[in-house]
Amino acid sequence: MLVREQLTMSDYRDKDPLIHGIQSKIRVVPNFPKPGIMFQDITTLLLDPKAFKDTIDLFVERYKGKNISVVAGIEARGFIFGPPIALEIGAKFVPLRKPKKLPGKVISEEYVLEYGKDCLEMHVGAVEPGERALVVDDLIATGGTLCAAMQLLERVGAEVVECACVIELPDLKGRERLNGKPLYVLVESH
Amino acid sequence: MLSLTTLCSPNETAASSSYQPPVFRLRSYNQTLPPTLCSASDSVANQPKMSSPDEQDPRISKISSAIRVIPNFPKPGIMFQDITTLLLDTKAFRDTIDLFVERYRGKDISVVAGIEARGFIFGPPIALAIGAKFVPMRKPNKLPGEVISEEYSLEYGTDKIEMHVGAVQAGERSLIIDDLIATGGTLCAAIRLLERVGVHVVECACVIELPELKGRERLGDKPLFVLVSST
Repeated sequence: MLVREQLTMSDYRDKDPLIHGIQSKIRVVPNFPKPGIMFQDITTLLLDPKAFKDTIDLFVERYKGKNISVVAGIEARGFIFGPPIALEIGAKFVPLRKPKKLPGKVISEEYVLEYGKDCLEMHVGAVEPGERALVVDDLIATGGTLCAAMQLLERVGAEVVECACVIELPDLKGRERLNGKPLYVLVESH
Repeated sequence: MLSLTTLCSPNETAASSSYQPPVFRLRSYNQTLPPTLCSASDSVANQPKMSSPDEQDPRISKISSAIRVIPNFPKPGIMFQDITTLLLDTKAFRDTIDLFVERYRGKDISVVAGIEARGFIFGPPIALAIGAKFVPMRKPNKLPGEVISEEYSLEYGTDKIEMHVGAVQAGERSLIIDDLIATGGTLCAAIRLLERVGVHVVECACVIELPELKGRERLGDKPLFVLVSST
C-alpha cells in the first residue's frame, strides 16, 4: 500500500495499535500542491470515526489535568483537531488565522515561506499573561507556521507548553526550528 | 476567565445591546425526525421577538451573550457576528456542542459536513460525539484529492465549494454545519454537493441565523436548526 511505503515508524510507535490505525488512515497524495510534494491528507482519517476519536483521545490523555487553559489551532486544519481537544481538557480554543479573517483587533506575526512571507494573526485579549497553552496543527513541516504561532502566544505572556501535531515530516527539521519547545506528534512520515 | 468587556469597545457594546435572544423552544425528538421539525422552524418567524425565559433552553442565553458583534466588518454597514469569544468561554462552547449533540444523537446520521473555516470548529466535536464522520467542505484548490465542486452566487460574482470524491456514499444521512447562516448561498451549495452524490441532507445546523437575510427560505424544504437568531 502506498501509505505504508511512505511511512516509517519507530519501534515504540509501531507497537501501539491505535497509532498504527491512525497512520493507516492518512492518505498520501503525490504532487500536491505542486510536483514533488507528497501531501499528507488527513481528510481520510476524519472519515473513520474510531480513528479520528483515537487521535483526539491520544492528545487528551497527554494534556488533561496539566493546567492547560488555552488550545491555539492554526487555520484551517488545526481548527479540526484543536476544538475537540480543548473541549475535553476544559481549555478555551483560540483560532490563529491568515490575515484579515479575524474581525476584531489582532496582533500579527510574520513568517518566512520558501518564496516570500506570510502572516498569522490572533485576537487581542483572547489569551492572558501566564496562561499555559498548546499549539495544535495537523502537520509540522519546516516549522515556520508553528514558530509564528508560538511567537504570538509568547508575545502576550502565555507559556507555550507544547506543540502538538498529528504528523511530522522529520526530514524538514521542523522540530529544530521550535527553539527548544517540545513537540509531540503521533505519526512520522519520511 | 476572560471578561467580555475587555474585548469590546464602547461602540461594540452598544451594538451588542441590540442583540435578540432566540425565540423558539428546543424540542426533544424521537428516532426519525418528524415533519414537525419543519413547523418548529416555521414557528420561529411567527413568534414575537422576546420570549419568556422558560421557553428556551437555559443554556442559550449564555451562548448568545458570549457572541461578540463587530460593526463594519468586513465592510461598512455589516454587523459581524464573532463566535471567537464564544470559544473562549469553555462552558458556553461546551453547551453549544451539547445542544447540537442532544438533537442529533441516535438519529442514524453518519456524516457531518462542515463548511470552511468556522464550520471546522463546530462540526468535528459534533461528529465525534454522535459517531459520524467529518467531511470538510472547502474553498477551491485546498483539498488535495479528486473533488467535486459546486458554484454559487455572491453579491458580486460567484464562489465555489468543494468536497472530496468518495468521502460520502449514496444513501448516507448527513448534517451540514456552519457557524452562521446569512443569505444561505453557501449552505445551498453544500446541500447540492451532497445531494449530487446521493446523500440525504437531514438538516442544516448553525449557531447563528440572520433572519432578515432570509437564508432559511433559500434552503427550501431543507430544515434549518439554529441556536441564536440575531436581528
